[in-house]
Amino acid sequence: MFDQIFGNYLVKTGRITKEQLSDVIESESKVRVKLGLIAVAEKLMTTEQADEVNNLQAIRDRRFGDIAVEKGYLTEAQVGSLLKKQGNIYMIFVQNLIDKGLMTLEQVDEALKSYQDQQGFTHSDMDDLVSGDVDRTVRLFLPSNTELCDKHCGIAIRTFLRIINSGAYVSKAYLTDTLKIDNFAMQQLAGDHNIYAGFAGIGNSLLTIANPFADEEFETVDLDALDAVGEFTNCINGLFASELGNEGVDMDMLPPAFYEKASRITGNQFCVFPIHVEEQEIFFILAIDSIISVN
Amino acid sequence: MAKILIVDDSRTSRKMLRNILESNGHEIIDEAVNGQEGVQKFQALKPDVVTLDITMPVVDGVEALKMIKALDPESKVVMVTAAGQKSKMIECIKAGANEFLTKPFEQQEIVDVINKMSN
Repeated sequence: MFDQIFGNYLVKTGRITKEQLSDVIESESKVRVKLGLIAVAEKLMTTEQADEVNNLQAIRDRRFGDIAVEKGYLTEAQVGSLLKKQGNIYMIFVQNLIDKGLMTLEQVDEALKSYQDQQGFTHSDMDDLVSGDVDRTVRLFLPSNTELCDKHCGIAIRTFLRIINSGAYVSKAYLTDTLKIDNFAMQQLAGDHNIYAGFAGIGNSLLTIANPFADEEFETVDLDALDAVGEFTNCINGLFASELGNEGVDMDMLPPAFYEKASRITGNQFCVFPIHVEEQEIFFILAIDSIISVN
Repeated sequence: MAKILIVDDSRTSRKMLRNILESNGHEIIDEAVNGQEGVQKFQALKPDVVTLDITMPVVDGVEALKMIKALDPESKVVMVTAAGQKSKMIECIKAGANEFLTKPFEQQEIVDVINKMSN
C-alpha cells in the first residue's frame, strides 16, 4: 500500500507524472504474485486448499498465511519463505522507478525524507511503511482516538483490500463534526455500544465498491448500488461484531440504511477514514457511542 | 432440484443467491424482501427450501423462522447470516433452523447446503 501512498506523494510534489506512476504500478502487478499462487506453484498447497483459504479470508479478518498455518496446510517457516519469494512491494516499486529512469536512488531517499518531514512520521514509523506490510502501514493512518475505532477502521480497510480492490490506499483518518457528501450507505450496531458505520461518497465514487462487490455495472449511485455498498458494510460490521463477541461484548446489527441524495453528515466528532481507489476518494464513516444525522 | 424461496431485504444478496442456485439447477419460485412477506409467500407457495436472512426490517429472520416452523415443523429453512451474529444463530438453532450460510457468499458452500437440504 505504501507504494501507492508514496507514489501519489511523488506526483503531488511534481517529481513524477501521474502517467509515469500508473506505468510503475502496472509493472509491479506483473511481478507481484499472490501468496496462494506461489504456495501452489511450490507444491506446498493444492489449488483447492488455496481457494479454501482465500474464501475463508472473506469471512475472517486474518491473513492468508495465518489461516493456512491454522488449517495445517503450511508451517510458519514455509509462510516466511513464501513471503520472501513474494517480495516487498515497496522495494519493487523503488526498483521500477530506478529501472525506468524516472528517479535515482538518491532522489528517492530525498523524497522519502521530505515525505517523512511533511507527515511527521518517526524513523520507526518509516520502517513500518517501507516494510511492505499492510497491517504495519495501516496502523499509522488510523485515528488512534479509541481502541474500538482503530479496530473497526483496521477491519474495514483490510476487508476492502481483500474483497474490493487490492490497489486501494488510505489517507490519515480524522475526527470531524460535519462532512459534505452526496450519498451514503450505513448500518447501525446496537448493544453494549451504539455504533454507526458505513461508506459515503461524492458523485459516483461509491461505484468503486458497488460494482465489484455485486459484480454489476451500475452507472450511477442509485438505491441498488447503495444496497451493494450496504451489503459490503454488513460484512465488515459482522467481522467487527465477531471480534467484539470474542471479548464478551454483545452487538446486534440492524438493517442498513441508504441515502441516495444526501448533502452532509453531522455529528459529534465522528471518524472519517479516506480510502483512495481508481483515482476516486471514498470515506469510511464511523461514529462510536455518538449519534450522527444525514441531511 | 429444489424449489426455493429467497427471503432477504438486500437486492444484491437475492441476486447473488438466485444466480448461484439457478446455475446449479435449482428453481427460485419467488423472492420476499422482509420476514412478513416471506412467511406469507411460504404459506402460499410451499417451497422445498427457504433461505432466510437474519437481519431484515419489519419482521426479522429469527421471528420469521419461528412463524414458518409453527406453520410447518418439517419445513427446511436455511438461515443467511453475516459473521458476528453468534447470539442470533443460537436463537435460530433453538427455533429449528436447519442450516446456515455466511455472507459474503461462497458458491460451493451454498450449493452443498442446498443440495443437502433437497436430498
